[in-house]
Amino acid sequence: MTVARLGHPHLGLGLGLRSVHFSHILAHQPDVDWFEIISENFMDSGGRPRYVLDQIAERYPIVMHGVSMSIGSTDPLNLDYLRRLKQLADAVNARWVSDHVCWTGVAGINAHDLLPIPLNEETLRHVVGRIRTVQEILERPLVLENPSSYVTFASSTMPEWEFLRLMAAEADCGLLLDVNNVYVSSVNHDFDPVEYVRSVPAERIVQCHLAGHTNCRTHLIDTHDGPVIDPVWDLYRLLHRRTGGVSTLLEWDAKIPEFPVLHAEVLKAREQVSLLAGESASPSASASIPHVDPRSATVPHPASFVVAEAE
Amino acid sequence: MNGNSRDNPIDPPIVPQIDPPSAPPPLAQIQKWMQAVITHVEGVTAGIESETAREQINITPDEVEQVVTRSQALSSIQRLQIYAHAYTARLLECLREEFPALRAAIGDETFDAFAFGYLQRYPSQSYTLAHLAGKFPQFLRETRPNLAAENENSVGWPDLLIDLATLERTYSEVFDGPGVEQGERLQAEELMRIPPDRWPEVQLQFVPCFRLLELQSPVHEYATAVRQEGELDAPLPDARKTYLGITRRDYMVRRYPLSAVQFTLLTALHRGAPLADALEQAIDAGADVEALLSQLPEWFEMWAAAPFFLGIELPEAKVAAGE
Repeated sequence: MTVARLGHPHLGLGLGLRSVHFSHILAHQPDVDWFEIISENFMDSGGRPRYVLDQIAERYPIVMHGVSMSIGSTDPLNLDYLRRLKQLADAVNARWVSDHVCWTGVAGINAHDLLPIPLNEETLRHVVGRIRTVQEILERPLVLENPSSYVTFASSTMPEWEFLRLMAAEADCGLLLDVNNVYVSSVNHDFDPVEYVRSVPAERIVQCHLAGHTNCRTHLIDTHDGPVIDPVWDLYRLLHRRTGGVSTLLEWDAKIPEFPVLHAEVLKAREQVSLLAGESASPSASASIPHVDPRSATVPHPASFVVAEAE
Repeated sequence: MNGNSRDNPIDPPIVPQIDPPSAPPPLAQIQKWMQAVITHVEGVTAGIESETAREQINITPDEVEQVVTRSQALSSIQRLQIYAHAYTARLLECLREEFPALRAAIGDETFDAFAFGYLQRYPSQSYTLAHLAGKFPQFLRETRPNLAAENENSVGWPDLLIDLATLERTYSEVFDGPGVEQGERLQAEELMRIPPDRWPEVQLQFVPCFRLLELQSPVHEYATAVRQEGELDAPLPDARKTYLGITRRDYMVRRYPLSAVQFTLLTALHRGAPLADALEQAIDAGADVEALLSQLPEWFEMWAAAPFFLGIELPEAKVAAGE
C-alpha cells in the first residue's frame, strides 16, 4: 500500500514566490507556511534572485516547481537541465521537485508552454519511462501536475484522471493536483470535474494548487491573475475530503497584488476546510462564474520572468 | 498491380479495397506537427498547410479533427489558436519586460514588430526565459537598415535601437549572472601595496560581472530616465560617443561612464595586457602621458570600489584578493 503523500509532510498553506514580493518577505518575515519557487528562475541565478532565495530557504520550507522538464516530449531529456535542477534542490533543501504532465517543445525548440499530450498506451509508456529516468537522476520521486489544456487529441483513449492514476502507479511518482486546472480543463473539454477529483488516486497526491483563471465565455484560460472562484473551492474541499489534507499552494502570476492580499487568499483554504464539517459528501461544481471581457489580455501561465534592477 | 493485369487469367478476382482503420500518428509526429501549427507566423490554418506540418501529418485544415478534437463550444482550429496566440503573446511579453527603454524609444508597435521578427529567426532553445533575448542585439545588427542620421548631432535610429538593446541585455546578464557579493574582490589598498617598480607588469583579473560597452549615444541616461524614473517621454539622446564600464554591487547593476582613454586602458587590461602595455595603447590613442599617470591612482581606486577587479596577477607570483 502506498504511504499517503508518498511520505511527504503536509506543509500547510503556501504561496508561489514571485520577485515583486522579495523585499516584503525579507522585511516582514510573514507567517506563511512554505514557499514554492519556479525552478528555472533560480537554477542559473548568480544574482539577487538566488541571494533572496537562500535567505528565504533558511526560514521557510521550499518546494521546487518547474516548467521546462518537458517530461512528455519526444526530444531527449536535457541532462544538463536535470543536473542543475538537482543542484538547486540539494542547495535549498527542496522538500520535493515538481513539474507538469506536458511537453514544452520538440526538435530543440522551447515554446515555453505546457502543451498537452494524447492520453493513450503509447504516451503512457513514453512518459513512465522518462519519469523513471528523471527520478534516478534526481534521486528522489518526481511530483507531476495536471496542466490546464485547451485541446484534446483524437488518439486519446482514456480520460486524464485514468492516465494520471496509471502513470503514478507505474512510475511510482507523486501527483500535484491543481484543482483550478481540473476546473479549467473540464469546461474546455466538457467533462465533469467532480468525477475527475473523485477518480484520481488520493494517496499519490502530494500537493494541491489553487489559482484564478479567466473566463472567455467559450473557454477558460489559466491566467493565474485573480482570486480562486467558488467552483474551484468546491473541488478543493472534495480533494481535502479524499486526501485528509495535503500541502496547498496559491499561484498568482499576473496582476500580482500586494503580499497581504495574496496571503489572505490562500488562508481562505482554512475556512473552506472548516465548512466540510457541515457539508454533504456530494459537492457540485456548478456555481455561476463571473464572465470577463474576452478581449482582455489572456496569456496562460507560465510567463514568469525576472527583470533586471539597474541604476 | 496495374490496369492491364485484369486480363491475366491467373490474377485473383478484384475485391473492393477497404482502407483499414488508420493508426494514429506516433507521439513524435503529433508534437512536431502541433509545434509547426501553433508557431507558424501566419497562424494556425497556414501552419496546418505548411510543409513542415504536412511532412509530419498530411492533412488539410478541414481534416484537422483527425488529430485534434473539437469541444462543444470551439472548433479544433479555434482550440489550436489558443496555443498559437499564447506562444507569441507570452514571449513578446517577456521581451517587452526586458527592454522597457527600447520600447519607450520606438513605441510598442515598432518594438513588437522587431520582437516578432526576432522570435521567428531565433526561437527559444533554452529551458529558461532568461536566455530568450540573448541574440536580440545581434538580430538588430543583422537586420540593420542602411539609414544615415538626419544630421551629425542626431543619432541614427538603427544605432539607437542597437545601443539600447545592447545596454538593456547587458543589464539582464549582469543582474542575474555571477557576481562577487558573497566572495572576495580586490580592494584599493591591495593595489596601493604593489611596489612602484612592479606596476608595469601588473595584470588585472576582472570580476565576472564586468562589461565594457562602446555606444553611439548616452543611452544609459535615457534608460535610467525610463526604467528608474518612469519618464516614458524622456528626450532621446543626441549623438555622443559613449563608453561605459558596467558591473554589479549589492545585487544592483552599476554603470560608470568612461572617457575614451579610460575605455582604451580598461579594454587592454580586460584582454589581459600588463599595465605597461595597456598604458602604451592609451598613449597611442592620444592620451597625455603626464595627465594619465597622475590620474591613474584615483581611477584605480574608483574602479576597485566599483568593483571592476577581482585580483592581481604578477608574473612570478599570483596575488589573489584577500592575500
